[in-house]
Amino acid sequence: MTRVKIALGRVEAFAQLDEQDAPKSTTWLKEMLPIHGQAMHSMENGREVYLVLDAPRQIEEENQTIYQTVGDLIVYYKPAIFVRPEWPRHIRDFLVIGFIYERDSAIRGMSGPLATNLVGKITEGIDALAREAPRMRREGFGQMRISLA
Amino acid sequence: MFELAGTSAVAEMHEDVVPKTCEAVWNMLPVEGMAIHANWSSREIMLHLHGEKLLRLPPEGPARRGTTAPGDIVYFWRSPQMSRGKQLAYSAEFQRELSELAIFYGDPAGGGLAADDPARSGRDLNLQVSTLFATLIDIPKPFAQKCEDVRHKGLQRLVVTRLER
Repeated sequence: MTRVKIALGRVEAFAQLDEQDAPKSTTWLKEMLPIHGQAMHSMENGREVYLVLDAPRQIEEENQTIYQTVGDLIVYYKPAIFVRPEWPRHIRDFLVIGFIYERDSAIRGMSGPLATNLVGKITEGIDALAREAPRMRREGFGQMRISLA
Repeated sequence: MFELAGTSAVAEMHEDVVPKTCEAVWNMLPVEGMAIHANWSSREIMLHLHGEKLLRLPPEGPARRGTTAPGDIVYFWRSPQMSRGKQLAYSAEFQRELSELAIFYGDPAGGGLAADDPARSGRDLNLQVSTLFATLIDIPKPFAQKCEDVRHKGLQRLVVTRLER
């Protein structure tokens, strides 16, 4: 069972990867780690924080759900318009990894629910993330790093 | 006029459609505060109204059914019981009852989770009021960029003033 550390701004949390139900996605993710970059807050899904990933390989649909819940660590293709203010010329979506830190959230595409690969669950530190993300909404978003624990 | 971080945009009020709301907002101006970016309604910044600027207005005009366009400016009020979860990104005074001006500055405007959450409207019980009362005449790119910056860099001071009537 692999644990990963999520560092957002001033806080840390830990997630357990779901290697049993998402073997391909978690294998891919472990190869990608550590991941580091500018954290972004969702403008369309509620309480979601994510990183845009630079991954040339297409990620297969696996262990998907449209019913995301608090603590879910998810990977999916987010419509580009939710990331940038305009559609990039040749890009329609960005691969992202993100998490849900509070209820009243659901991942949406341009016309309805968007299925996401559920790759893990935050098992420690969700309360810290749920304080840090709103603080960053007020004070500005910083960096997020996901690494093997 | 909406002034944000050295940029500005001008809006026209819909006095012919929602005269009471327009009158109330006009009388309340000028108003300023720290604008925060939406997290359910896509490209929208919000200015929460507080103290003597807080407006509790009744619904007016045609019902809005989740269709919002860039440039729309909406008066929004939510009763305390309609609050969804903790609103820790808001100042303490806005975490329950909320009165605000919502400025939709780009595409997508008003989509996302807010658009298809029927319970969120509270319209039938007057628990929530959402009145489209003005539209930006145009959306200057520098103004839109500063709105987008609010999302990434945090709160920015927004000043709303009367221009002419």
